[in-house]
Amino acid sequence: MARADSLVKLAWAYGIHLARRTVRRPRAQLDALLETYAPDGIRPLDAATRERHPRLVSCINCGLCALAAGRAGRTRLPDLASSYMRLYSRLADASGDLAGDDPDLVAASAVCPVGLPLDEVAAAVRRMATR
Amino acid sequence: MVVVGGGVTGAGVARDLSLRGLSVLLLEKGDWGAGTSGSSSWMIHGGLRYLEYDWDTTRLSNVDSGRIVTIARNFVSRVLFIVPVLPHDLNNIERVETALEVYDGYQPLKHSHPHRRLTPEEALRAEPGLSPDIVGAMTMEEWGVDPHRLTFANVQDAIGHGARALNHTRVTELVRDGRRVIGVRYRTPDGATTEARARAVVNATGPWSSQIGAMAGVPIELRPAKGIHIVYAHRISNFSISAESIDGRDLLMVAHAGFTLLGTTDDDFYGDLDSVDVLEDEVDYLLQAFERVFPRIRDYRPVRTTAGVRPTLFKWRPNEDRLSRRHELIDHAAQGADGLFTIAGGKLSMYRLMAEETSDAVCRRLGHQARSTTATRPLPGNESDPAPVAEITARCEIPALAVIKLQSRQGTNVEKVLDEGGTSRLLCRCEPVTEAELVYATRHEQVRTLADAFRRVGVAAGPCAGAACILRAAEVVGKELGWSATQRFDAAREFVRGAWLGRAPVLGHAGWAQEELAQGSLRPLLRTNGAR
Repeated sequence: MARADSLVKLAWAYGIHLARRTVRRPRAQLDALLETYAPDGIRPLDAATRERHPRLVSCINCGLCALAAGRAGRTRLPDLASSYMRLYSRLADASGDLAGDDPDLVAASAVCPVGLPLDEVAAAVRRMATR
Repeated sequence: MVVVGGGVTGAGVARDLSLRGLSVLLLEKGDWGAGTSGSSSWMIHGGLRYLEYDWDTTRLSNVDSGRIVTIARNFVSRVLFIVPVLPHDLNNIERVETALEVYDGYQPLKHSHPHRRLTPEEALRAEPGLSPDIVGAMTMEEWGVDPHRLTFANVQDAIGHGARALNHTRVTELVRDGRRVIGVRYRTPDGATTEARARAVVNATGPWSSQIGAMAGVPIELRPAKGIHIVYAHRISNFSISAESIDGRDLLMVAHAGFTLLGTTDDDFYGDLDSVDVLEDEVDYLLQAFERVFPRIRDYRPVRTTAGVRPTLFKWRPNEDRLSRRHELIDHAAQGADGLFTIAGGKLSMYRLMAEETSDAVCRRLGHQARSTTATRPLPGNESDPAPVAEITARCEIPALAVIKLQSRQGTNVEKVLDEGGTSRLLCRCEPVTEAELVYATRHEQVRTLADAFRRVGVAAGPCAGAACILRAAEVVGKELGWSATQRFDAAREFVRGAWLGRAPVLGHAGWAQEELAQGSLRPLLRTNGAR
């Protein structure tokens, strides 16, 4: 009975929806959506990050990059990829951890066993932390 | 009272009864939230899909979700779904929007925003990883929560109000006096058997309910359904995404704080509830569905899988996905087991309501007048907003990221945790987790194994799956619990072996590179025991 009742009500709602669609012009909603969720840190990845994303999150935290190149800001180098590259929505609150000069990221990438481009990771994390 | 089962519902019942002034013993054979609760999608949701079957379930679910979101405000975060629609989907875009328009009517009950309709171009701007074939998309908001922390917060509050709560303690027998159930016998981790007398025994063991029922000679008919998730140790997108499976089911890719859950399956389960394996076919079933809406999904490296069994109420004939998620409270007095109550079915989003209804029934039977206060009383750590991240970072000298993660687990108790632990050293750098938090969890949060530590503080939950931290974690926990060097070694080995079982079905490509690292770094553990 509950099932039949639910389907009848949905059918009624569907009719109303279709009638509304015929008289109301659709409008762009993405900007309003992003504004609504900005306080929660929910926003699109930028195009550069999205394109390379699967590579940027492939760190296995072996630590070889730290041996090759040292620290990034106040944090150790592998943390950039294994930790900071994960929490996009709150990175702005953690931007202070990353303040300081970058180490030799090219040297660090050269020793990475999974070929992680650490210079790109550092750039992506800093972009997300400052947005 | 004795409450059997330390999932979120059992913990909720123990909390509710304790707050009403009753004396409660809560028993869990494994760890808090380690069964069905912990294997969920980590969401407090209103149940959009129940609109097809029963609008009242959707309403109840939204009402109780709203209450949970309020009492656990520091533990929850918004989860925003993009619901992409493809040309040949079961429901066309107008039908999808109709359902969401109806759902919008319930969203304020859980403090959520209404849906938005996106053109294909807008959807692809929001998430360029979506298939270019989409004809449009909707958005839908739900809430994310760590079910392990939610469960433990209920346990913690119950203890704070006089309850005794024992994990790793198995009920072996129900004590009877004629037609009455008057208590339980249970075995503690040291092997001792103890008896506890009670005026009522609540069976809140989820899919294990039938086993407890059998101890009292009463049949409890469930239709257990297995569900698996694939876990990625990072966000694949800032948006959660839905997909339609090959057999028309709705699947979800859920973006939580620092990881992604992709699931779930829903299959009748007849096997051993204590050993639920994930099959590679199940993994492929999920990936196949998401490949359609998010073509590059297979480029990402999963780190593990989870598997659990839902305690779905029995019904013959409907396929698993169409079974009701309603719950049922059974008073077994009529079956000759007076004093035994079973709460079965239901879901995480309605755990509080299930606990309240169960506690109401118990109190009615006992003639106890106190009413439930769990709808408005905050869970521990959620009494106010947490202190600003920068303030704690400066005072405790730990990275801001560690503070953020700690706040998501401990809410307002962060400084208490850091002060007691006495060290600002990071133990698990992926998550990150401080040694102080693990010390605190071992002293005050009933961590007894490294798997308990994984659930309580997230140690070894990141991309390296424990390769870099599990031995140190064994040292920290072992020191607190007085383990010998051999016991510490054994604990780490047990954890590694358990983690392997969840990881094996998703290894491939980069997964094997990570596995090489883990196996190499933990070689002494594995060689000793011959695991793998």
